[in-house]
Amino acid sequence: MLNYIIRRLIGAIPVVLGVIAVVFILTTIVPGDPARIMVGQRGDPATIEKIRHEMGLDKPLAVQFVDFMKNALTFNLGKSYRNNMTVVQALLIRLPVTIKLAFASMVVAIIVGVPLGIISAVKQYSWFDYGAMFFAILGISAPVFWVALLSVVLFCVILGWIPGTGTGNGEWIYYVLPSVVLGLRPGALIARLTRSSMLEIIRQDFIRTARAKGLAEKVVIMKHALRNALIPVVTIIGIETAGLLSGVVVTEYIFSLPGIGRLSVEALVNRDFPVIRGVVLFMAFLFVLANLIVDLSYPFFDPRIKYD
Amino acid sequence: MFKKSLVLLIVMLLVVTTLAGCGQKPAQQSGSEQQQQEQQPAAEAPKNILRMAIMSNPPKLDPVFATDTSSSRIIYQIFETLVDYDKDGNVQPLLAESWDISPDKKTYTFHLRKGVHFHKTIEGKPTANGGREVKADDWVWTFNYILNPDTASPRAYFLDMIKGYKDYQDKKTDHIAGISKVDDYTLKIEIDYPFAPFLSVLAYNTFNVLPKEDVEKYGKEQFNFHPVGTGPFKFEQWVQDDKIVLSKNEDYWKKDKDGNQLPYLDGLEFRIVTDLAMEWTEFGLGNFEQIEEVDDPYYADAKKLPGFQEGPTLGTYYYGFNLTKAPFKGNKALRQAFNYAIDRKGLIDMVRNGRALPATGVLPPGMMGYDESIQPQYTFDPEKAKALMKEAGYPNGLKVELVYNTSEGHKRIAEALQSQFKNVGIDVSLKNIDWGALLDATDKLEIPFFRMGWVADYPDPDNFLYVLLNSANIGPKGNYSGFNNKEFDDLTNQARVETDPAKRAELYKKAESIAREEAPWLFIYHYTTHSLTQPYVKNVVLPFFGEYSMKYTEVKMEK
Repeated sequence: MLNYIIRRLIGAIPVVLGVIAVVFILTTIVPGDPARIMVGQRGDPATIEKIRHEMGLDKPLAVQFVDFMKNALTFNLGKSYRNNMTVVQALLIRLPVTIKLAFASMVVAIIVGVPLGIISAVKQYSWFDYGAMFFAILGISAPVFWVALLSVVLFCVILGWIPGTGTGNGEWIYYVLPSVVLGLRPGALIARLTRSSMLEIIRQDFIRTARAKGLAEKVVIMKHALRNALIPVVTIIGIETAGLLSGVVVTEYIFSLPGIGRLSVEALVNRDFPVIRGVVLFMAFLFVLANLIVDLSYPFFDPRIKYD
Repeated sequence: MFKKSLVLLIVMLLVVTTLAGCGQKPAQQSGSEQQQQEQQPAAEAPKNILRMAIMSNPPKLDPVFATDTSSSRIIYQIFETLVDYDKDGNVQPLLAESWDISPDKKTYTFHLRKGVHFHKTIEGKPTANGGREVKADDWVWTFNYILNPDTASPRAYFLDMIKGYKDYQDKKTDHIAGISKVDDYTLKIEIDYPFAPFLSVLAYNTFNVLPKEDVEKYGKEQFNFHPVGTGPFKFEQWVQDDKIVLSKNEDYWKKDKDGNQLPYLDGLEFRIVTDLAMEWTEFGLGNFEQIEEVDDPYYADAKKLPGFQEGPTLGTYYYGFNLTKAPFKGNKALRQAFNYAIDRKGLIDMVRNGRALPATGVLPPGMMGYDESIQPQYTFDPEKAKALMKEAGYPNGLKVELVYNTSEGHKRIAEALQSQFKNVGIDVSLKNIDWGALLDATDKLEIPFFRMGWVADYPDPDNFLYVLLNSANIGPKGNYSGFNNKEFDDLTNQARVETDPAKRAELYKKAESIAREEAPWLFIYHYTTHSLTQPYVKNVVLPFFGEYSMKYTEVKMEK
């Protein structure tokens, strides 16, 4: 098991390095000089040059790249061009907000998605099934920003249940609406996948055997069918958890949450290269980590899978 | 199975909490970040704290490096300059009580206000300066710091007329010769040549007095996160992308006319709400006393509210013609044709909800040198535009590409003008690039037809006509059209050093007239500014200079 983890982590290094290289090249070839943006519309060329020098932008691209890679290996991702905060610090300040949001959204998605999928499969072609799958299609198709705006109007303005956007003084109530909105899409995906996976499983012989030996239907479904149906669901949960990070961009923007999604938008608009690279590197790392955790969780659901 | 699942769940929870915890560890190393992470007790309804929604996280709270309005908004509350503007744009005393100008207009002697103290505490902790009084030495140190080439302040060059600026920049001396202390409360500034808008430039909010001890304690990079000034409000907390909290400066020097200590408010809380629909919604919910921007869909409703104010501001929205490139190079008739082809009033009513004033020249109304009667007046005259097109050598029309920086607002305007141009045979295609790319390209005079706008740094026509169209500023300094007109240059150069206001106004009128005649821009509209506060917020004065420069010293809440 440990060997497997180490092998996977080593295998991830070229992926992450490749991502850094691509992002570095992309951020440097797009037009738009960060020093120029920083100086504002009216800029004194001598000052712009001075700032370029301070940022290290006057060095040849290859030197900048090597410097960046060297520093990245020691977790030194440089400083934000915009406010001189270190990129690591900028990420860490925002990380708790994004993690809380992503985690809560995934909890919402699982709590809603898995039971909906199970019941839909068990009661295939019932009104419940049609209703749940309609919800799932809606959840997958409805744009996050649209759902977010409508939910604010409903829960903040009309019903007054939620105080507003932002994080207040850290109260959990501020995370409820964003989490539900962000969890809607993965929840819908999980519901659909659980349903189809369950449908496949409950038609198999061993389920018939379980029923034949007189087990209660609840036990058949929850213990025998669900456990086997969960492998593809866990895979999608892993991928969607990492995918949520792209969803947080819009959700954090609309709900004014100070997380990594907002940071990445601001950084892109302002050509804050070190922050852009930091965010992408962090996201790549999370994707790798999420996939690894998913792979490692398989033996819990299917003891036939073993990592030696 | 259940046990295994439980173990898995616990492991996942541990991973998540560890990751979340990662974010808090480094916070313990620095004061402000520690505060940023600390969870506070549930919010009580703030009593005397004005809560305002702003659109973006300011990059800088250090005035020496700030160049944008979102930073300026906060800086105006924490820091103070020698002089200030009144609500009509006239220079008035702030930390200088009065000043004398020598007969040759090259020496300014400022008599400093006594009893002005730097902030004694910020973020709940004592500052390095300890709340001591501001004296002339502080101003000498501050100007030397800002103008020091190693500081690399992006706005230092605004004061390039101060004696010894160049030697200091070239590191030939270790201080700037033109700034000296006469006594503890008298400061002398010498400039190389008479420069009429000098006092206006000093009011620019880079040139605030700074406490040496705190700047040195935090250093150039960290002072941004721990700003210390003399203003009516002190810095308390900055949660990146979330909020900035300021508290009342109990030792502020100013009192109201009845002798009451100012400011009236206990504090200001600026919360960053990026989505304008949310700003409006939350204002309606009473979550904010003020919001930065009323977006077009809500404008009609906002106008009916008692706390809504609107007025002209010193800014011009235009499309620049590149005078160094075809088809606009050497073709005045074509440039004029463009100016006659558009219906500004219709555009403003339809696309801007009536929130702008038609522009037929460079200078905005209210600015010295602005005169409604200056010719030519670019009215909407498609026939004249067609005739001029013929004269310009394009009887069958022409195709041209407009490049604008990506924004929904700019796009709407561009599309409306595109259809107006079509009526006179001008086929405009649209291309959007982002702001950085547009600046890059216009600096190098690469784009024939581009969107641009200008809002005054200081309320003087020099900041428009000289900066944007004098040939000395071709390129990144502001003249993106490459306009190069000898007579215009002479007039604007002369007006810079002329100190008689009446003569200056005449010079600027002539320069404005040349600019209109030569039409280096498609003049579109002059900006307006607005503010929206709750009705219980009193003494709100909408500054002519733009809502972002509002000061809250005398603002009070009467709930």
